[in-house]
Amino acid sequence: MLGCYDFCGHYEWTFEWLRQQGGEPMVRRYWEECIYRVSQHHATELIHTLGFDGMAKYWDHTLAEEGAAFIATRGPRVFRIDMTGCPSKGFLIENGLEQYHDYCDHCIGWIGPLMKEGGFVIDHEHNHRGQCWWEFREAGSAEPPSEPGAATPDDVRLSDDWPKGPIQRFERES
Amino acid sequence: MDSPLPYRDTKPQGAADFYFAINATFDFVRRQYGAEGLVRYWEDLGRNYMLPVWQRWRRLGAEGIATYWRAFFDAEPGSEVEVIQEEAQVRLEVRRCPAIAHLRKHGRTIGADFCRHCYHISHAAAQQAGYAMRLKGGNGSCTQTFFPATGAEAPQDLNAITPC
Repeated sequence: MLGCYDFCGHYEWTFEWLRQQGGEPMVRRYWEECIYRVSQHHATELIHTLGFDGMAKYWDHTLAEEGAAFIATRGPRVFRIDMTGCPSKGFLIENGLEQYHDYCDHCIGWIGPLMKEGGFVIDHEHNHRGQCWWEFREAGSAEPPSEPGAATPDDVRLSDDWPKGPIQRFERES
Repeated sequence: MDSPLPYRDTKPQGAADFYFAINATFDFVRRQYGAEGLVRYWEDLGRNYMLPVWQRWRRLGAEGIATYWRAFFDAEPGSEVEVIQEEAQVRLEVRRCPAIAHLRKHGRTIGADFCRHCYHISHAAAQQAGYAMRLKGGNGSCTQTFFPATGAEAPQDLNAITPC
């Protein structure tokens, strides 16, 4: 049986299997068509229906169940997540698993289209060491992404570990 | 100590919502590459992803297979499985499959051939260790038997695997 205890291991392995079958476009298609539209249908329902409240409900449940170290911060026009210990990337690092070249891309791969179709834009950075931050705003918002520490004292960008990995940035992504 | 599971995690059990992605992935691979492509994906998982598992099975034999599956199902939320070692053979009596139970609880559509993944993955892994696996039942409960391969055993009857 394919289990959930090591899900992140065979999930990441599957990215590389798909890349070998159909190249990078097949991996992107998998994240959008399979993960966003089917697997994470419950996230879509919550976020498209309830907006920021739905984001809070979805991530409070799923990140707690996965054992993440994170802080969610709610502003009047923004929902922010600071991930200080990503459970899935952490599992891969801890167990030395790396088949696909950039596991972290999968999050923007399914969350990106979900937010776009829900009317939100994304500002996001990750450091490939299990740390990232996200800010979700309504599409059309003129509010820029926050400066480090401005939105919350728990901003992951203030941690000593933050600059240790190669940082990838997505601005007004959707 | 030689852990029965190849990977460590910070939590004692996996997150059950990941069964959603496992189920959806099978459907995606079937849509892209057909039923034969899906079997190839499962067999590749068994031979490649499960390499550290079957290497331990090869080293420890039935004891390794039994201890693996006990530890595995301890880490799968909602499972009710008895692992019985009878000399060189190991039998899993799956009374409540955690994946099927969680998918049904949440109203997810399950592929008719979902339970075949257990056969194709585990048999492919077992073969690398000199064993074979046969499965009977499915759709929530089944019996899986691992035994030393002789090359003369009858092939798996895929019709013996209950569609979901």
